[in-house]
Amino acid sequence: MIRAPLVKALGALGSPTHQMASRAVRTSAMVAQTPAKAPEKIEVFVDDIPVQVVPGTTVLQAAAQIGVEIPRFCYHERLAVAGNCRMCLVEVEKSPKPVAACAMPVMKGWRIKTNSDLTRKAREGVMEFLLMNHPLDCPICDQGGECDLQDQAMAFGSDRSRFTDINYTGKRAVEDKDIGPLVKTIMTRCIHCTRCVRFASEIAGVDDLGTTGRGNDMQIGTYVEKLFLTELSGNVIDLCPVGALTNKPYSFVARPWEIRKVSSIDVLDAVGSNIVVSTRTNEVLRILPRENEDVNEEWLADKSRFACDGLKRQRLVAPMVRMPNGELQAVEWEGALIAVAKAIKAAGGQIAGISGQLADLEAQVALKDLLNRLGSEVVATEQGFIAGGTDNRANYLLNSTIAGLEEADAVLLVGTNPRYEAPLVNTRLRKAYVHNELQIASIGPKIDLSYDHENLGADAALVKDVCSGAHAFSKVLEGAKKPAIIIGADLLERADGAAIHATVAEYCKKLKKPNWNPFNVLQTNAAQVGALDVGYKAGAQTAVKAQPKVLFLLNADAGKVTREQLPKDCFVVYIGSHGDNGASIADAVLPGAAYTEKQGIYVNTEGRPQQTLPGVSPPGMAREDWKILRALSEVVGKPLPYDNLDELRNRLEDVAPHLTRLGQLEPAGDAGAAGTISKSIGGGAIDIKLKELRDYFMTDAISRASPTMAKCISAVNKQQRENEAKQSVAI
Amino acid sequence: MSALRQVMCRSTASLQLYQANRAAAARWASTATDGGPLDPKTALARPEELEQRNKLSGKITVPTAVNLSPISGVPEEHIRERRVRIHIPPKNAMQSGTDNVNTWQIEFDNRERWENPLMGWASSGDPLSNMNVQFGSPEEAITFCERNGWRWYVDGAAKPKKERVKNYGINFAWNKRTRVSTK
Amino acid sequence: MAKFLGINRLTKLFQMVREAGGLKQAYLKLYRNDDLKIGTLVGIDKYGNKYFENPYYFYGRNRWIEFAPHVNMDYDGSMIPAEWYGWMHYKTDLPPIRDGCRPKYKWIADHSENLSGTKEAYYPYSTTPNKVEAWEPKAKKQ
Repeated sequence: MIRAPLVKALGALGSPTHQMASRAVRTSAMVAQTPAKAPEKIEVFVDDIPVQVVPGTTVLQAAAQIGVEIPRFCYHERLAVAGNCRMCLVEVEKSPKPVAACAMPVMKGWRIKTNSDLTRKAREGVMEFLLMNHPLDCPICDQGGECDLQDQAMAFGSDRSRFTDINYTGKRAVEDKDIGPLVKTIMTRCIHCTRCVRFASEIAGVDDLGTTGRGNDMQIGTYVEKLFLTELSGNVIDLCPVGALTNKPYSFVARPWEIRKVSSIDVLDAVGSNIVVSTRTNEVLRILPRENEDVNEEWLADKSRFACDGLKRQRLVAPMVRMPNGELQAVEWEGALIAVAKAIKAAGGQIAGISGQLADLEAQVALKDLLNRLGSEVVATEQGFIAGGTDNRANYLLNSTIAGLEEADAVLLVGTNPRYEAPLVNTRLRKAYVHNELQIASIGPKIDLSYDHENLGADAALVKDVCSGAHAFSKVLEGAKKPAIIIGADLLERADGAAIHATVAEYCKKLKKPNWNPFNVLQTNAAQVGALDVGYKAGAQTAVKAQPKVLFLLNADAGKVTREQLPKDCFVVYIGSHGDNGASIADAVLPGAAYTEKQGIYVNTEGRPQQTLPGVSPPGMAREDWKILRALSEVVGKPLPYDNLDELRNRLEDVAPHLTRLGQLEPAGDAGAAGTISKSIGGGAIDIKLKELRDYFMTDAISRASPTMAKCISAVNKQQRENEAKQSVAI
Repeated sequence: MSALRQVMCRSTASLQLYQANRAAAARWASTATDGGPLDPKTALARPEELEQRNKLSGKITVPTAVNLSPISGVPEEHIRERRVRIHIPPKNAMQSGTDNVNTWQIEFDNRERWENPLMGWASSGDPLSNMNVQFGSPEEAITFCERNGWRWYVDGAAKPKKERVKNYGINFAWNKRTRVSTK
Repeated sequence: MAKFLGINRLTKLFQMVREAGGLKQAYLKLYRNDDLKIGTLVGIDKYGNKYFENPYYFYGRNRWIEFAPHVNMDYDGSMIPAEWYGWMHYKTDLPPIRDGCRPKYKWIADHSENLSGTKEAYYPYSTTPNKVEAWEPKAKKQ
């Protein structure tokens, strides 16, 4: 600024350089006047093709805009720029050296050559150095076939080797590390891209991984011997461009070209992460994330990724009926359906249904229709919610949306631990924390959220304090551009849940901004939102109170209904995929399909309906849940009016049209229950079910059946025992 | 017509007509904006001649619904009972390359597979399970499915990529949370 | 002359019938073996099979077996034990009873015939565990 008048004065001299300088000053002044909203695009040339980019764009991004892909190892679009693999070197005209495309911002008028001799030579050189210290064990490597190093060596590497040093110093060898039961390490294959290190510290928020040593002796590790235990650890397997970090349960199981990939949806939490199910010979081998900016970005939580071996254990493979001697015995479908139909006839309309955590929307609608035809209105979800609050959709949704939370700048968590209830919502919060200076406070027990937050206390009365505007954090919320309050679904099961809900909803009306709804409920069950959308009542006790003669349990395995609560002569019918709490109290067990075996719609916590696709067929005599109900309706003599999935979807569209617009979000209005609800919050400490990592792994019938999840829990326990032993030694 | 037609096919004829119109419009647009040198043959031709030449060049679009299923030889059960999913293949999360994810693909509903009792190989009774046909746009795939008499639905629209500002400097910011904590 | 009239064949037939022990026995033997031959009895194995030889017949048909009577019509080529197998297939001209060099160990197992087609036939079975582990309900109602 001081120099500006001087430059202006010099501009009068009329030399071209001076003119240019003065123009620069003028443009900068213009930019300063208009706020930096829409920065002027600059033009660069990638392989002589002009491309307009915003200033600050890197060379690699500019090339990607016109579809030119520059090879890379360390660069990942969701991680910070590291610039250490040098694979993305490209030639820029008039630059003496090739530049690293991932870290170099473009300048106006640059001519980037991504396929010139110099560029190719640079890539070949980098590749040669990488391969020099990389073992030639592709035939036994689990990454083989989907390895970035393999592909890029093929496409950009030299066609011959100059490496002859095998007898003198040999190849680099690094000892493998034990970092847990999920990720297998073969550290000799590591090319030091540090993607895993950056993922751990930026996304997962645990600074466990790092590098030691320099140059050839550099190693990735945990510094001290320690397990890499986080709810997101599986993602480093995807990120690793070579086979240094691979999937331990999947190791040596299959090759990528043998497997079939089926795009589906995860149902083990309420996020609705998009997944790809890899199958072979009617067996689910592994689960990978599928990119969806609005839901899970590119990540997948460990339970969703590794609990797939639970799909092969504890399965219900044949219909069962409880015999007079009290034992469940496998029977044919016909016998089982007739037994259930007899019980239904005898019940005379005193029937109830409970839908659990993993039920798909089709089955829920079919169950409701069947029960309505039989003269019963009692259908409820297993998880509770506030009474009378299910009419307004906004009451039970994550209204700010998962992607929206990343723009939030003040968040209050009430009785929820997003880190373990919905890990991918937590990564959004962490992203906002890192990039958007998000301020977070929580009411509830002290927990580790993987980022700094202020714990206001555990007393429920604090909710009232904050919502009345008296609390210090209220000022933060009110001053924020995009504030959000997230209530845990479990909290609303409390006696004063309705009061907490009403208080927060009231306050959120005050906090509301255009295009921004601050009221959020974080659900934990994938089936909950869908069930409430199609008119289920909340809470298993609703069904128990009706004292039914026949009770349908649709995937209801949380153990909230016990035999003692039900009448002595109650006939319990369980429809579901796994033998767990529900099946063990049932009088008739009708084997259903798990989420990888059926085409079913699930609505996630933000209200986005998405569908699973069948990768394998249900085992044994198991059938898709809605087909079981359809067959039962025929036996009872009240046939349901749909014979195939399309007709059922049409029925679903009649019930709730937004539920068949797959992948799309229907904005809900303001939260707030109808009628007058007392706002007297009872007080008392707020508790959270999933406090620690060990609580996270087993939360539903599938993950409870998974041996990998059991290993994870024992690994966490082992780590804790070791830490305690170390501490006692130190004392 | 938007690419978000997630409903089942309803109006075959209207779609075909629409495509015919669109193709015509595209041809019209490309000739009108063509600022190249004049072709004497085109410039001197009579309008009838031009029309005839236009008819002979390019594709012939039949503005009626074509159903090839009666003559395609595909068994009835693989026409009536199949649902085709039209989608963009997802990127493999294990790799960074994006070369295979720019097309639209058709995929049939998944039928039962089993392990062959003799050798343990994967068996299937479904002849269409390996039919992966790639298309440039969902409309092309829709036309293909309708000509073959399959029911279809489009799954997942192509979403524009989010622009991210990448900056090496923020790794070392002294007052931001983006400063790297581990190296 | 007799040869010309075919009387020698008739004589042979009578001889065969006589060897077989009467008309009825001859018929039964023909029914059972589809053949009626006369020859010298070379030996009897421990399963009761009788081995015959008659160089009058052409090579390939000059050694035969009459299976033990108790197997009736259910005889099978695989009932010939290993020691007689060589003689039957002209690998050796020494039948086992005359061949002193044959090893006789205690551990040599009894011959067993091919059981294909019978109830004891071998059926291959998979040794891999089931891919899906079924739930087993706990015995009592809770």
